[in-house]
Amino acid sequence: MRVWQFSEQAYTPAWSLPGSMGVTLASNHCDPVQAGALLNRYLDEYMLADELGLNIMVNEHHATASCMSSSCMTTLAILARQTKKARLLALGIPLANRSDPLRVAEEIAIVDAISGGRLEAGLVKGASYEVFMSNKHPTRFMDRFWEAHDLIVAALSNTGENFAWDGEYFHYRTVSIWPRAIQSPHPPIWMTASGPGSAKVHAQYDYNCATFLSGTVARSVFDGYRESYMSAHGRLPSEDKLGYLAVVCVAGSRNEAYRRATKMKGYFDTSMRLDPQFRTPPGFASVEESLRAAKAGRNAGWLKMRNGQPLPSDATVEQYMDTGLMFVGTPDDVYDQLRQFYSDVGGFGNLLMMGQAGTLDHAETTDSLTLFAREVLPRLRELSLDNCQPLDRRQDALSGAAWERIA
Amino acid sequence: MKSGKAGLALMPPAAWIDVAGTSVELLRMGQGRPLLFLHGMDGLEGSLDVIRSLSQQFQVFAPSHPGFGASELPASFDTVDDIAYLYLDLLETLALDDVLVVGMSFGGWIAAEMLIKNRTGISQLVLGAPLGLRTSDRRRQDMTDIFMLPAQAADRLLQVTPLTDINPAQVEDDRLRRLLRNREAVSLFGWSPYLNDPKLRQRLHRIGVPTLVIWGADDSLIPPTYGEDYARTIPDARLETIAACGHRIAIDQPEQLVRLIIGFSSKTRTTEADHARVAV
Repeated sequence: MRVWQFSEQAYTPAWSLPGSMGVTLASNHCDPVQAGALLNRYLDEYMLADELGLNIMVNEHHATASCMSSSCMTTLAILARQTKKARLLALGIPLANRSDPLRVAEEIAIVDAISGGRLEAGLVKGASYEVFMSNKHPTRFMDRFWEAHDLIVAALSNTGENFAWDGEYFHYRTVSIWPRAIQSPHPPIWMTASGPGSAKVHAQYDYNCATFLSGTVARSVFDGYRESYMSAHGRLPSEDKLGYLAVVCVAGSRNEAYRRATKMKGYFDTSMRLDPQFRTPPGFASVEESLRAAKAGRNAGWLKMRNGQPLPSDATVEQYMDTGLMFVGTPDDVYDQLRQFYSDVGGFGNLLMMGQAGTLDHAETTDSLTLFAREVLPRLRELSLDNCQPLDRRQDALSGAAWERIA
Repeated sequence: MKSGKAGLALMPPAAWIDVAGTSVELLRMGQGRPLLFLHGMDGLEGSLDVIRSLSQQFQVFAPSHPGFGASELPASFDTVDDIAYLYLDLLETLALDDVLVVGMSFGGWIAAEMLIKNRTGISQLVLGAPLGLRTSDRRRQDMTDIFMLPAQAADRLLQVTPLTDINPAQVEDDRLRRLLRNREAVSLFGWSPYLNDPKLRQRLHRIGVPTLVIWGADDSLIPPTYGEDYARTIPDARLETIAACGHRIAIDQPEQLVRLIIGFSSKTRTTEADHARVAV
């Protein structure tokens, strides 16, 4: 298994403000000097990840205190130069929000060239509320996405003459990428899925497929991918095609790990803080999806805990662990929890590890990452479905109830 | 009769008509002079009482716009222009003459886009709080951005009539589906530029039929000054303002709306008849 360090690069000083953390939050709450210091700190942690043998994942959001990375390619342009070995994953670039997909292709190519061919390009639909900032139409959003995708792939992999592009949404007289990307025909492409439907499409394209914080739903995403991959390519996908994103917190003792995890949980608490209309711009979800959501009611979360109950919006660390969104404890604990999850979902080859989240400070992040890299990573590299059965009895000791006792 | 949650009113059975290859849901009610009724953002359901009243005097044709209600949304449709051309085709298909076109809100915008293109068969126009004109200039915004509001708050903003709180989980699928299609269609045609056509103003002079513009005095979406603007820009137009009335005129003041439409219709027709006598 490969592990990717990830942080949303939050501006935590604004978290004490009341109300929404995105879209409407006034930027006068951002002290740019403090923001710059924090961004440099997060970059330091990414560089540490490189030294520790971890890979790097960067994302982007807009107009929010929960994620200051407003362009993943800008951050990766820095890391392309400053890191040595890590693979650099942008997950992802919200294509349909971009006015100029050719510029996206250019940014991919230049970062790939500077990094010596270490870039991995995630092309994503992105969060619904981003259309309020990009002002791109929420309707027919994925038509726009796929045309941008087709153009970017054609531009990156073009080895012939320049070409013109006259599409439904995008128009270019001449497409010519300078510099070209080192990786041929283009850097590995990733996409994200929260259900088997889109995973099946990603499998047909032979793209990597990641699912974020989806708990046991990851099983259906991965199964959908494997099934579709088999019928499209006549073989099962290698595990490194699949990725799972979760919060991971390691410490020398369970008590310390739990204390840190409580700080990291701030990520979940703040990302919930968004006015409901920004989650559902009309047309972003299909009419039938919206109908099902309206019928299910406000409180029907899509994430279920092991007892079948929906994960509450104000969940505890134990409940997040129980759902498979947080992996917390000593190196042994975390390895066991990850091995269990890995086995539950039928295997995957990329752990997209939110190793910094919320108010976890630099010293704590450094310690957690170092401990993880030294104690957990070597064992995860050996992990395969063949060697993770039968289940270790220690799993029982790490149930939610056990954690409640520790707390 | 006022209805609290207009968008969810029960639809009477509608007919279907094929217009230039697009399948359109069409209410046809009453006898008399033809009246093309173009509904607002809340779909046909939001104007049913008015449509029924008008059908006492007129032969009312009330289509669901493409993407609204149960009408087909062709993949190539994404501007109000597309709808306007479709309805010009509809009038040709129905071979109507001396038509009174009534457009409410979003439907008023469609009506204006029709009339600037072609007025064949159309003799009068009523615009009830029409959208379509630019209502912003850089940082100045005169029209509330309903997409930035929770759905309930947007509903409250649009009418002065109190809303009945309805749990969507208890509404039948088909009615909820129509409501969701309406919202999606408003987003498709109005997300950006926000519910307007920047080119409309410079073309309004082409509306060559007598026009009545009606505005609710308490319209919280667009202030009545935009009614004055519309009335000033269209050559033969006047403005009527209705008190105690929000943007959804058909919900807030259906009787007054019908009275104004009937009054306008008969008055201008008398004038035309007078002209005809003079000519003879």
